Amino acid sequence: MLEAYVDALAYMAGNPITFVLIAASVVWGIAFGAVPGLTGIVGVALLIPFTFLFDPTEGLLLLAGVYVGSTFGGSISAILFNTPGSPEAACTALDGYPMAKRGEAGKALGIALASSAIGGVFGTIVLMLLAPPMAQLALQFGPAEYFALAVLGITAIASIGSGSILKGLVAGLLGLAVATVGLDPITGMPRYTFGSSELLTGIGFVPAIIGVFALAEVLQRVSESDRSADAITNVSTKLPSLAEFMATRYTLLRSSALGSFIGALPGVGATTAAFISYSEAVRWSRRPERFGTGEPEGIAAPESANNAAVGGSMIPLLALGIPGSATTAVMLGGLTIHGIVPGPLLMQQNPILVFSVFIGMMLANLLMLVIGIRAARYFALVLRAPYALVGPAIVVMCMTGVYAINSNVADIAIMLAFGVVGFGLRRLGYPIACFIIGLVLGPIAEVSLRQGLILSDRDFVEILTRPIAGTLLLLSVLSLLYGIYGQYRRKNGGQGLGSANPAPPAAKVRAGGEGT
Amino acid sequence: MLNAIKAAGLAATGIAALAVGAAQAQDYPSSPIEVIHEYGPGGGTDRFIRAIGEPFETITGAALVPISIQGGGGIPAYANFQQRPADGYTLLAISPDQVINHALGRIDMGELMPLARVQYDQGLFLVPADSPFETIEELIEAAKADPGSLKVGITGSAGFDDTVIGLWNLETGAELTSVPFGSAEMVSNTLGGQVDLMHEEYGPARGLIESGDLRPLVVFSEERLPVLPDVPTAVELGFDVTLGRWRALAMHDTADPAQAAVLFDAIAEAAQTESYKKFEEDSALQYRSVVLGPEEFQAFIDKEIAVYTDVLEQLGYVQ
Repeated sequence: MLEAYVDALAYMAGNPITFVLIAASVVWGIAFGAVPGLTGIVGVALLIPFTFLFDPTEGLLLLAGVYVGSTFGGSISAILFNTPGSPEAACTALDGYPMAKRGEAGKALGIALASSAIGGVFGTIVLMLLAPPMAQLALQFGPAEYFALAVLGITAIASIGSGSILKGLVAGLLGLAVATVGLDPITGMPRYTFGSSELLTGIGFVPAIIGVFALAEVLQRVSESDRSADAITNVSTKLPSLAEFMATRYTLLRSSALGSFIGALPGVGATTAAFISYSEAVRWSRRPERFGTGEPEGIAAPESANNAAVGGSMIPLLALGIPGSATTAVMLGGLTIHGIVPGPLLMQQNPILVFSVFIGMMLANLLMLVIGIRAARYFALVLRAPYALVGPAIVVMCMTGVYAINSNVADIAIMLAFGVVGFGLRRLGYPIACFIIGLVLGPIAEVSLRQGLILSDRDFVEILTRPIAGTLLLLSVLSLLYGIYGQYRRKNGGQGLGSANPAPPAAKVRAGGEGT
Repeated sequence: MLNAIKAAGLAATGIAALAVGAAQAQDYPSSPIEVIHEYGPGGGTDRFIRAIGEPFETITGAALVPISIQGGGGIPAYANFQQRPADGYTLLAISPDQVINHALGRIDMGELMPLARVQYDQGLFLVPADSPFETIEELIEAAKADPGSLKVGITGSAGFDDTVIGLWNLETGAELTSVPFGSAEMVSNTLGGQVDLMHEEYGPARGLIESGDLRPLVVFSEERLPVLPDVPTAVELGFDVTLGRWRALAMHDTADPAQAAVLFDAIAEAAQTESYKKFEEDSALQYRSVVLGPEEFQAFIDKEIAVYTDVLEQLGYVQ
């Protein structure tokens, strides 16, 4: 093992280009992550032809660096513009943007960056030390377990929101309902498409969240008569102090562990990891009502989880040759074209490749800290421009980005429609978090439940009695009850009786920042 | 009279178009050609376009750029292709999935000009290392004893894999229940023992076959694969199941035949290059993959349409 690391290091030292590639790919990745619609997958796919210029190890290092960078990059635009640059950053916008609006953009970016690096390093360490056993553990997760995991995440909507349980449930169910549009995943029959071939692909998650967040925000800003809303001024990225860091240590640890494991599950990646971690952060918090109003843990949880999931999703790729996420699926394709046969023997046949990637990912995560501070600063320059220019630019960027993902004009229409939906939800006080949790986790729950039922010959009891699935489902029921109880208590307790918008937490309101 | 004028006009236009086409064919292709496909980036079709695209670019100077438009059973990808001009700079990657969509009445293959069939893959049934089934006969016996109890992992729903399993069930009577997954989950659920077996081509499963984690039981081809000499074909067992996934390129039916000829020559040459041959061998694609030109390929497609329509009718998908 140690010998393999020495060999890999010797290889990298002998090919200094590897270090250049890692640095360049992190920058490229952050840029792709930060621009709405240009996701990490696009960033990796675009670089595949360039990997032909290098040997397979150098090529894979290039792709892994992009993956690491893009997963953090999405948080920059999520925090500064309420526009998740990539789907895995959707949760980050929920608390990052309110924090930025409070005048603490720099702090929010700092938390995102530090959490990303911690999660990323954690995930890489798990990858280095535990890849084969983790891959075996992931194989124990069948459809029933995926279903239970998704349900556990979905039940957190009972704890989210401040005041109205009903509104949270309505928003969550709306998300679940929207997720059913398109071809039935098992039978291939069209559902709720109303004869439109554009709706056959369903409501894409990326167009929907970009609409709900970015476009709705632009609409919101335009509709505000108060022109002093340009509160996001303090953007010099500040890493959290040790005290602030220690305050989120449990969240960081829990989210990193969850992220690494969920990343290792084939077919689900950083986005699911971020959502489940956010759900868990809300559930375990002593003040869940603050989530969505600019809670630091609401940034730390998804950001540490999605970066941990990067290392996690490399586990099945390198240990078994099965991609753990959509981005690693593209990497797998790239490896194959290079004549590398991914599979359990990869570690023995190509130790230098595997161990170089371990080292490279570690370096990429550390470099991300350095580059991330700079990158956020440059992005923040945009904020100096008047919103009359920035707003329309965001809309145009979102439209191009959404189209770029799948070259599908219908996605632009979906994005625009969901802008209106998001605007309406916010106006009426329905929690956006519940809506997008339903939208993201709903399809996973649906498909895996139906796969599970085929496997058990339509026997629900068999699913409930599987040890992991049963336990997770039991926890879901308990947390649902506890969440509803907590909401009930908060509503009838002292603060904010019947109010849909309680005062934000007692944060320091900076001069120039808006009060509520 | 009017008709005669019309005919003359059409003929003149046709000649003019041919003349222009011939002139254009001189410097065609002069910019990258986009290849639309309905599968994910990194999948078999995406890899096929990239692998053939590399020598193709060396030969013609123009790159082949895969454009992935996923989901919706391939209809959005097809619709996108149809909306683009027939100027020779957009191709469609086609496979049995288009034939199935044609048989189901969702698209019309007559709107396509077949260009070249490059790959012709062969599927396998694979079981995990700890499976009780050592041979295909044992599996058939178990499936016949309790029809539908064995679960086979497939990719996609109501597509190529489903049709192969349907044909297998009809031919053998050893009924299997198919469970659609994404390709990664299909493998993990097979290795983890959630399903009893899976249907996959040799290339993507090669790493796990070589490590012994997956055991191939039967191959759907006319002849045994030289890399897997001990694995019988379904034909040997008396079952006519040879449906394989082929990967090919098509143009608009109104495309310029001169351009088609240029493209076909370049693709046929690219398929003979060393880099592509190496790729083919790595994926065990070399056994049935004879490059078919436009005419032979059209005949092949007509035959495939007949076969798939028949199977889908027997399965009750087509009335």
